[in-house]
Amino acid sequence: MDLSNSNRAATRPLDAADLCRRCDPGQFKFKTTDDLEDLAQVLGQARAENAIEFGVGIGRDGYNMFAMGPEGLGRRTIVRRYLERQAPAREAPTDWCYVYNFDTPHKPRAIALPAGRAPRFKEDMTRLVEDLRAGIPAAFESAEYRAKQREIETEFGERQEQAVGAIGERAKKQGIALVRTPAGFGFAPRSGDGVMNPDEYRKLPETEQSRLENAISVLQEELESAIHDMPKWRREAQRKLRELNRQVTRTVVNGLIEEVRAEFQALPGVLEYLAAMQEDVLDHVEVFRQPKDGEPPTLFGVPLPLSEIGESFLRRYQVNVLIEHGGTKGAPIVYEDHPTHDNLVGRIEHISQMGALVTDFTLIKAGSLHRANGGYLILDAMKVLTQPLSWEALKRALRSREIRIESLGQMLSLISTVSLEPEPIPLDVKLVVVGPRLIYYLLHAYDPEFGELFKVAVDFEEEIGRAPEADLLYARMIATAARQEKLRPLDRAAVARVIEHGSRNAGDAEKLSVQMRDLNDLLRESDYWAGAASRKVIQAEDVQRALDARVERADRVRDKLQEEILRGRLLIDTTGDRAGQVNGLSVAQLGGFSFGIPHRITARVRLGAGKVVDIEREVELGGAIHSKGVLILSGFISGRYAANQPLSLTASLVFEQSYGGVEGDSASSAELYALLSALADSPLSQSLAVTGSVNQHGAVQAIGGVNEKIEGFFDICRSRGLTGDQGVLIPSANVKSLMLRRDVVEAAAAGKFHVYPIDNVDQGIEILTGVPAGERDATGHFPAGTINYRVERRLVEFADRTRAPVAPAAPRGARRRPRRP
Amino acid sequence: MKIRRVIVRLDPALQSRALLEAAFELAGELQAELLGLFVENQDLLHFAGLPFARELGFESATRRALDVESMERTLRALAKEARQALESAAARTQVHWSFRVVRGAPAAELLAVVEASDFVIANLEEAPQGASPASVRIVRAGDLEALRAALQEADGGVIVLVGADEHAVGESLRRALGQGRHGEQTARRR
Repeated sequence: MDLSNSNRAATRPLDAADLCRRCDPGQFKFKTTDDLEDLAQVLGQARAENAIEFGVGIGRDGYNMFAMGPEGLGRRTIVRRYLERQAPAREAPTDWCYVYNFDTPHKPRAIALPAGRAPRFKEDMTRLVEDLRAGIPAAFESAEYRAKQREIETEFGERQEQAVGAIGERAKKQGIALVRTPAGFGFAPRSGDGVMNPDEYRKLPETEQSRLENAISVLQEELESAIHDMPKWRREAQRKLRELNRQVTRTVVNGLIEEVRAEFQALPGVLEYLAAMQEDVLDHVEVFRQPKDGEPPTLFGVPLPLSEIGESFLRRYQVNVLIEHGGTKGAPIVYEDHPTHDNLVGRIEHISQMGALVTDFTLIKAGSLHRANGGYLILDAMKVLTQPLSWEALKRALRSREIRIESLGQMLSLISTVSLEPEPIPLDVKLVVVGPRLIYYLLHAYDPEFGELFKVAVDFEEEIGRAPEADLLYARMIATAARQEKLRPLDRAAVARVIEHGSRNAGDAEKLSVQMRDLNDLLRESDYWAGAASRKVIQAEDVQRALDARVERADRVRDKLQEEILRGRLLIDTTGDRAGQVNGLSVAQLGGFSFGIPHRITARVRLGAGKVVDIEREVELGGAIHSKGVLILSGFISGRYAANQPLSLTASLVFEQSYGGVEGDSASSAELYALLSALADSPLSQSLAVTGSVNQHGAVQAIGGVNEKIEGFFDICRSRGLTGDQGVLIPSANVKSLMLRRDVVEAAAAGKFHVYPIDNVDQGIEILTGVPAGERDATGHFPAGTINYRVERRLVEFADRTRAPVAPAAPRGARRRPRRP
Repeated sequence: MKIRRVIVRLDPALQSRALLEAAFELAGELQAELLGLFVENQDLLHFAGLPFARELGFESATRRALDVESMERTLRALAKEARQALESAAARTQVHWSFRVVRGAPAAELLAVVEASDFVIANLEEAPQGASPASVRIVRAGDLEALRAALQEADGGVIVLVGADEHAVGESLRRALGQGRHGEQTARRR
């Protein structure tokens, strides 16, 4: 009994001051946040900042960064700010161009140029082609060329004529004419100037006829062999003509290319290209002879677009500036918001020509890897992982240290059309992937390449410790954020209120949340309400109004649930006593708004095979952790009460009127109280609600969402009218998490609502039943009348009944254990 | 003397459409009519009628047997082609034109058709021999001076030999024509 008394003494309700750790505006010296300096450092992210500094500084492969933490911490901003400080110190990366590959046209060549030089190269090449188009036709117009060309043509013509003419002469001597037919040649006997009439021929003597026929057959053979040689001569003539073309244009071409060459003297890649281009131009000079204007060519009467002919050929001399850094100061920082495969590694576009898709090197487009090459690329983990093939492509690029543009369609064999294999471009990029922690750990566990490529984990904190100096730093952070957002300044009280909210947000009175998004939202909303109230400075009531309005916007579901309780459709008692029934508390989170709601938990017991039935689990509405909590209860009961007896109890536990899933073990203490109450047949006070998990020894352990749970029960009690008996039992370990609403604190201060810190089950059951729990005395027995005594007696009864032979039910008293005097 | 008729010999087939167009231009300038003349070469038919007639393809270097019927078909086809070429060239001009097919020795048939007021463009390699009905001047293609002189002095009865270089003939005609007009204008001013 002494112990019970001491328990009772220990379980006094908490003072109102313990229910919420206020932030005292008096500790601040400033008047408004305008008096505060900007905070250069990032609050509470020392670990992350060191990691970023290390990750950026180390220039080795694989030291890419994964910035992890929940949304809204400002990971991207922090990383970006850091990179922006580092980037200007580095050199701007090289420009990259794609040019035609004269040896293997489907593999365009990549050329690097110093930052900003690529556009000049492109211009020079465009001008060069223009100049060639003017210069080459001029060369062909020259008298020298014409004379030489005629010479070659005449030579070929004469050679033909001579060959045929010589045979014709020989034929003539034999009285035979060489006849030119529409398609060739023939031999026939002569008669005067013309061919002999067939009638005339038939009149000739047979010897003459056969002489002529023989002679003709010989001549035919000769002519045949002469004609056989003609294609060879034509080829020879053509070759000579080509050689002539080269000779004539060489000077022009060399002269023009020399100008470009001089400008890019120091760049071997460009010089190599120019040399190859020079040869190619000389091989294709006839293209430059085509007139620019005139009648457009047609195909089956349809005019062809100009690009089909000469223009399209001349595309090969263009330069595709893939990426240029003319205006870039320092290393580039690129954030890719839409990291599709093509947006990352670049793409090859196609254009439709006469219904077919064609492409060339000018249609190669840069991806963000190209843009970030030589600098930093920031990506969002979720985005890059949800884009098909992006992640693989990214890893491939990082591993091979080169960017290889592959068309997705080609890769998956989805389309079959002309495509290219552009020469890969060397990659030197520091990648920062921003994502949730879960993704980091999953990738680390399941992606063997991940650990090798992302060696720097940048882990962001969600909260900082709430020491007095931290309050001032936090105030400066608020000041900085307000200025960045161009908001009204906050006065001291408003800052204090924001700090209290930061603590509540962290779910811990000794911590402050550094969720920058939530903080910025709150400041913006407070600014709005200050504006609505025509104030120049944000005051505490504006902050409060912003917080209230937030709840008001989001609390429809909570209101409905509370209404159901108040209307008596969801059964929750807030007065009276009842055995085997207790108010449990749960937290629901809907769209970023969390609220607590009471639940009726009931327990029924009967003789049975030693099993505590968790109805939630039976119907698969309970999660694994909930089931674990219930199994712990069995452990506690059998360990404490019936160590030497078989546990002949069957109990059922249920969350009444719960139609969704139940998860978590925060109701296990409430379930235990209901069970003990049912066993001891001692009614529990319904004006109290319970939260806390319990272990096998009966110690009550910390749970989450304690503030929401208390407020949830408080709201119901207040609506029904506070009696002064009402309150909530919470684990002692959670006292430090208390950041309760002002109205709850006020009710507690007035003694109308109580929050009891509980260490063990005995404390709880005493408060709930008003009966001492009882502790085993020196003889090992619980004092009679205590809860524990009653529970044990009931369990022994059950055990005896199980062991007894089948007999008519005897009065309870007769079934007492013999050892009890 | 005025040129009333421009005769274009269309066999063997013209290689260049430009020549035909130049001829039409000439006819238009001179307000003359144009006659397309196709001679079915008697020699070819004789040749095809010989029992051992063989044609050796110029490009293919293969031998083919010939007979009169197939040769006649070929000539008819060529004549038809020539007429079509004429028609299409004529479509762009206002010139009156006609087309005639004759059979015989080409040079003789040509001379038989030519009158003193004609201007003849013939793709012959050599000057036709035999008596001509009028005082016909024969000018070799490409010889611009001779052509101009012939045009100025004779004003008709000119035969231009085309030979191999049809394109050059077209050019020559255009130039001669331009010069001629220029000459006329200067003369008138005087």
